[in-house]
Amino acid sequence: MKTKGFAWGWIIALILGFGLGLAYTWVLAPVKYVDAEPMALRDNFKDHFRSAIAAAFASTGDLERARARLSLLGDPDPAQALAAQAQRMLATGDDLETVQQVAMLASALQGGIAANPPFEMPTNSPEPEPTEQTVASETSTSEASQPTIVVDLTSTSTPLPVLTSTPRPTHTPTPTLGAPYQLVGQDTVCDVELAEGLLQIVVINATRRQVPGAEIIITWNNGEEHIFTGLKPELGHGYADFLMTPDVTYSIRMADGGTPASDITAPTCTATGDSTYLGGVQITFQQP
Amino acid sequence: MPRWLITFIALALGIALGLVYGWVIDPVQYTDVTPDALRIDYRTDYVLMVAEAYHAEQDPALASRRLAVLGSQPPAVITSEAEDYARQAGYPGDDLTLIQELSVALQTWQPVPGTSLP
Repeated sequence: MKTKGFAWGWIIALILGFGLGLAYTWVLAPVKYVDAEPMALRDNFKDHFRSAIAAAFASTGDLERARARLSLLGDPDPAQALAAQAQRMLATGDDLETVQQVAMLASALQGGIAANPPFEMPTNSPEPEPTEQTVASETSTSEASQPTIVVDLTSTSTPLPVLTSTPRPTHTPTPTLGAPYQLVGQDTVCDVELAEGLLQIVVINATRRQVPGAEIIITWNNGEEHIFTGLKPELGHGYADFLMTPDVTYSIRMADGGTPASDITAPTCTATGDSTYLGGVQITFQQP
Repeated sequence: MPRWLITFIALALGIALGLVYGWVIDPVQYTDVTPDALRIDYRTDYVLMVAEAYHAEQDPALASRRLAVLGSQPPAVITSEAEDYARQAGYPGDDLTLIQELSVALQTWQPVPGTSLP
């Protein structure tokens, strides 16, 4: 009986000690997180990070570096994450230039904007693994996995890659350059699959490529709305849309000027069985 | 062996097990960290992004707002620390030049009273 009581005391002391240890490690002296990776950032700080990447991309036009940086955030689909962020920023009234930068990077990732020509980047590590030397090195090794980067795989003298050259800033094409946009297409769209009253706008530049981040102003008798192309990259980098209200007349123009589309109203379409529904309008602006 | 000694050993063993479990096996998980906890190389790359953007925008106020995300230190100090790390880590000269350009701009820049940082 005495031995049994002694065993219980031993177990209780062990459990008590374990509890004290846990209290110390989880409450009094938890592991301090001082070397966090961008992936662990809170969502709103990830947005800041993406905005900075987009701003840097707008300055340098270096898509591969932007792609490598975005990969640090661990988004399953970086382009989609950027597009969603651009929409959130628009909704919260963020600076339009910043929104455009984010939208343009989203489109560039999906091929809407041509990236810089590939550059030769000597590196001496064949493995695309992150190192703790610099993020710039990390970027370079990530880039090594891209097929367009010329990588020297022969030199393996040191374990850490060292960049010896960096792509220099080349400016990203901006959608506001060039001649004013002209209205080149205005078509009624009767499609029951589409939302009723859907106004679809496509913006194309002089080289017949869709333009992301272009600002469009929609006005009606007592209102005005600014929308941007490229926020739905799955529908086209120069695509934007807007839901029209029945019996309201709209005027649509590019913020940079050019020919407006006036007197736009949602048409009435006939479905099978003589029932009617509200159709849509598709408008195309193009630089001459 | 005295009973108190065995109890003490059990207690010490329990504490040791608790420490190993809490620090190694299942440490406190941080999933929503703030940028000031970023590793120095990531912080430096963030500063480099801001420097790249600044090179085109030439807007020290905007650069300062972006750098404020990294913590409460003055933007010039944040940039200076990044410059030191970039130099030690052997960043390419072009990247160093960009960070230096931002560093110099922020050292001479005077914020307008009343402007808020995020």
